[in-house]
Amino acid sequence: GIPWSILRNYSASTKEKAIGNVAYERTELLEVLKARVKQLQTSNVPEVTVNKAELAPLEEEKCRVRGQRTAAPGPAEEQSAPKGKDERPARPRSWVEKLRKEMYVKQLKAEQEVSTQLAEKQTKAKTKSKTKTKSNESLKAVATPTWNQSPAGLSPACAPKLSKPRTTEVEDAKKRRPRRMPVDKESQYKMIEQTILSNLECFQFLQQPEKAEKLLLTYHKSAAKRKILTVAAYNIVMRSWAKKGCLTRIDRLLLKLRCIGLRPNLDSYAIELECMGRNGSSDRAIRSCVERLKNDGFRVDELFQKCLFEEDEKEMVLRAIRMILPDYELPPPPNTETCKSSLLQNFYSKERNVSYPKLDFTVRELRERFQKQLELEMSNTITIKSVEAMKPVTPQATKARELLAGLRSQWHDSILQALQKSKHEMSKASMSGPKALYPYLCLLPDEEYVSIMMEVINTLSPQGVSLVFLARELGSKIYNRYITHRKMRSRHLEKVQKVYEDYIHLLAKDSQPGNYLPREYWEKLVAETGFGPSLSLKDCSWPYVLHMRLGMHLLELLVQSVKVPRNILNPRLESKLIPVLYHIYTFRNSWQVGLVKPHPILCQIMADASETTLTFNSCVIPMLCPPVPWTSSHFGAYVLNDTRLMRYVDGAVQHQLLLDQCPQVNLHPVLDALNQLGNCAWKINQPVLDIIISIFNDKGDEKLDIPPPISEAPKPPPGPSNPSLLNKAQKHELMLCKKKAAEMHSLRMDSLYKLSIANHVRDKVFWFPHNMDFRGRTYPCPPYFNHLGNDVTRAILLFAEGRPLGPKGLDWLKIHLINLTGLKKKNSLQERLEYANEIMEDILDSADHPLTVR
Amino acid sequence: GPGVLTRTLLNSGVRVVALENDLGFLPDLQSLEKSLDGQFKVIYGDFFRLDPLVTGPVKPPTVCSEKLFESMGVAAVPWRADVPVKIFGIVPQKKERNMLWRLIFAIYECSSIFRYGRIELNFFLSEKEYKVLTAKAGEKRTYQALSVLWQIGCEIQLLHMEPWASFLTNSKNGGLAIPKSTALPNDHLCLVRLTPRKDLFTGTLKTTNSATFVFMVKQCLARPSSRIIDKLNSWSLYDGCKLLRELEIPEDAETVSLYPEDYRHLFDALQNSSVFTESWFHDEVLENARNIN
Repeated sequence: GIPWSILRNYSASTKEKAIGNVAYERTELLEVLKARVKQLQTSNVPEVTVNKAELAPLEEEKCRVRGQRTAAPGPAEEQSAPKGKDERPARPRSWVEKLRKEMYVKQLKAEQEVSTQLAEKQTKAKTKSKTKTKSNESLKAVATPTWNQSPAGLSPACAPKLSKPRTTEVEDAKKRRPRRMPVDKESQYKMIEQTILSNLECFQFLQQPEKAEKLLLTYHKSAAKRKILTVAAYNIVMRSWAKKGCLTRIDRLLLKLRCIGLRPNLDSYAIELECMGRNGSSDRAIRSCVERLKNDGFRVDELFQKCLFEEDEKEMVLRAIRMILPDYELPPPPNTETCKSSLLQNFYSKERNVSYPKLDFTVRELRERFQKQLELEMSNTITIKSVEAMKPVTPQATKARELLAGLRSQWHDSILQALQKSKHEMSKASMSGPKALYPYLCLLPDEEYVSIMMEVINTLSPQGVSLVFLARELGSKIYNRYITHRKMRSRHLEKVQKVYEDYIHLLAKDSQPGNYLPREYWEKLVAETGFGPSLSLKDCSWPYVLHMRLGMHLLELLVQSVKVPRNILNPRLESKLIPVLYHIYTFRNSWQVGLVKPHPILCQIMADASETTLTFNSCVIPMLCPPVPWTSSHFGAYVLNDTRLMRYVDGAVQHQLLLDQCPQVNLHPVLDALNQLGNCAWKINQPVLDIIISIFNDKGDEKLDIPPPISEAPKPPPGPSNPSLLNKAQKHELMLCKKKAAEMHSLRMDSLYKLSIANHVRDKVFWFPHNMDFRGRTYPCPPYFNHLGNDVTRAILLFAEGRPLGPKGLDWLKIHLINLTGLKKKNSLQERLEYANEIMEDILDSADHPLTVR
Repeated sequence: GPGVLTRTLLNSGVRVVALENDLGFLPDLQSLEKSLDGQFKVIYGDFFRLDPLVTGPVKPPTVCSEKLFESMGVAAVPWRADVPVKIFGIVPQKKERNMLWRLIFAIYECSSIFRYGRIELNFFLSEKEYKVLTAKAGEKRTYQALSVLWQIGCEIQLLHMEPWASFLTNSKNGGLAIPKSTALPNDHLCLVRLTPRKDLFTGTLKTTNSATFVFMVKQCLARPSSRIIDKLNSWSLYDGCKLLRELEIPEDAETVSLYPEDYRHLFDALQNSSVFTESWFHDEVLENARNIN
């Protein structure tokens, strides 16, 4: 048949066919340009207003904006009034800057929090410092949120107290202000709300409804704090009770919820009905519940169309409904919508009668691959052989490895001890507060915390790593592990597995073709199996601050508990235990960055041991089966690992909010594009990989972009041993050497990871799941080894399924080859092609004997 | 500016060497130099761009202290000798912090202008920076590494305070060009005299190990509320508590509550133990020195 890609590619084929479209596209282009003008204005304007409030150092910037305004008077006037949704795309730039500032503030804040033990003191210091730093950062438009901020305070009503009398542009300012404000406060507010929700969810996971309720009630009782509570918070607690069949508790909570002016939502009713189904309530009770549901403007069908169910919740609700309506049938799945964007009209036209391209695998093969991928993700981490393993082991290395193994088992024990001690202390302290970390230390078995913490020691770079980065990483590792546990427990995994096994029929070569896109097919299967509206988990993401606090706590335990005898390398010294990790500040201009560094002794042992295994998170390895298709902003990519549809700065919440608010159908093009990229199968170009590894294990080659080992780093000239006796030039030289060594180390490690992963999957076919950033640029999720790497990395990759080249394909390949040589940069394409033909003999010779060219 | 400072100095009868960084003002100053018969000399240069880190020839108005002192005709004197040169200047508001750090480093290392002896600095600083320089131990907001280092390194005298209102400091949009300060008062421009102490390098502190001292103080006061004993422990000191007892510092003291002299004593004690030479400390010191310059 006709190749899929041609039909799918609207810009290549349809443009020429329909001349009528050209005019249409022009208007569209005009639209885009107009939008861009508007975007430039709106994204610049808030800066100007903010700056005007104080020093206006960006005088130039202002002139520039004015210039733009006069340059495009038409659309500017037309669009100067705020217009609801239209403003959204115009925001990113100022957001990014604001985010950067916020990140900085957060970083400072987080660092301040590191070792302070007194929670009370922390709270005070935090709010104070927040105010201080923010005002320093001149975020005038940002009001500092406090605990007792009411939801009503979110409206632009706060604007007047911030705005200052201004002679010019007062009008404009009034219009613009609300644009920035709500977003900002919203994100702060959302953060607090999220913290409470995740605390409650934590208790739910731990099956401790009493504690969840206690926490909820501490908020409920305080008139100021209860304003943060949402129906969702009550729902979580009620759900915990529903699992235990405690209907009275649920009724009491519903009453409390109503008495503070909230109304139960659809989920609340689902929970109540679930509980009724579970403990077999009377018809009368169920009937009255359904009655109330209808009075609140909901329909019974909606329960099954909109609520997300976990475990056996759906069955229980259905049981309750069938008690009063024995003939009740599940509502048919809602009709799938199609994206209406005019740009994609052809793509989504109903007359599609081409099947999705098949992979060269049978259903059975794909199923086996899925199982392998699942096992990989279930075990969370994977340890692979490094490509350096091919080198012979020196006696010194053997000795260092033994030493390290001994130390590791000691460290393991002392970390475990420290963790248990800290948990014990925390359990005695009051744990109902929102700051309590104790429940988060109970989510996983102790051993899992310890192994996650041990990974830090094993992978810490000798140059040190920023405290904030490490803490965040620790926090999110724990979170990911928790999510995996949750998915396994809530039968989520089971469901995904079932749907996936049917889904691969779309891709396998030995099954019926269907006129579906991966997303559409997946959605259809989910609907058919009756798993409810989707397979996403109930929203349970932890706020950024929580990741940080948890990470900081674990890091602190690590720094305090992991020790090494000082004389381990030099027996002449007296024996004494010293910390392996230390915490230090470096100062960059006026701010300070906290670093965690390994003690030189540890670096020495690690270097001597030159271990040949690498441990990675499972999502670093390309997928062994086609990725789960993206069907919403919460679901797709890996089987278990939580992946974001959109990459954004940690701590930002507005992106996810916008994605959630956006009608799902508008996301379809994005999801489909990512699925298309993710379904491309890859394999390793083995001869090239072998050559690269051989050079890598020899001495590297900077010219070939294969980083040399650290042993090749330039040595500083011999000088006095005491660095303070060096003169300025010598110090400078020493510093340059150190810098070069640090750079070489990181380049070398990066390459080592890439090559080792490639070597690990050398005999396999694999896939790269994709996601995108806020600009819409798409990226493969596995971070080290992927097809967006440098030339060396890309040289290792091949399409798993070759396709014949087009009529001019070979010519383009030749031109590309010449481009890579950089020899004919100033010549025309034709000349480059001719040159390629001219030296074809040499090219072929190089391909055959890459290292021994004639 | 209009040269108020230079004029006042000339009127008082002292010999003045002016550093002018604006080529536009240079011709007039040069003609003034001719008419004043040796009392006045002008050099094209910027004091606040003195001795950059990069090696190699520098482009004016950036100046090297060697060149500067050569053209001024001032020779180096020993540290304990009297003040050879007095410097007057108005520190640009944006550069205050930066300059204070660079100068204090130079004092401890006896590098840059301080190779020529104890150069006295008479600076117009904003009130908030003056407050930082003179902050007392225990004042959490103001007492910083900079306070400790300057108080040990120099005698600090406040010569004059002038309210900002005396100056035309309007920026182009009509606001005051003075950085706002919430934590500290900042209503004045202060003329501060900073005289490097004669006895700075007595005892253990030497120009060769002073970078370690600076580094130690900075690490301690990076978080003013951290406890000194935690710091000592993280530096792998054998018996931090004993050391603190000997120095009569309470064991649970926060770093912010230690007096400048305490830091000096702490340094002396640590220097005599093996902490600095044996652990990672001196690598870090070197790193730190790079970041400062």
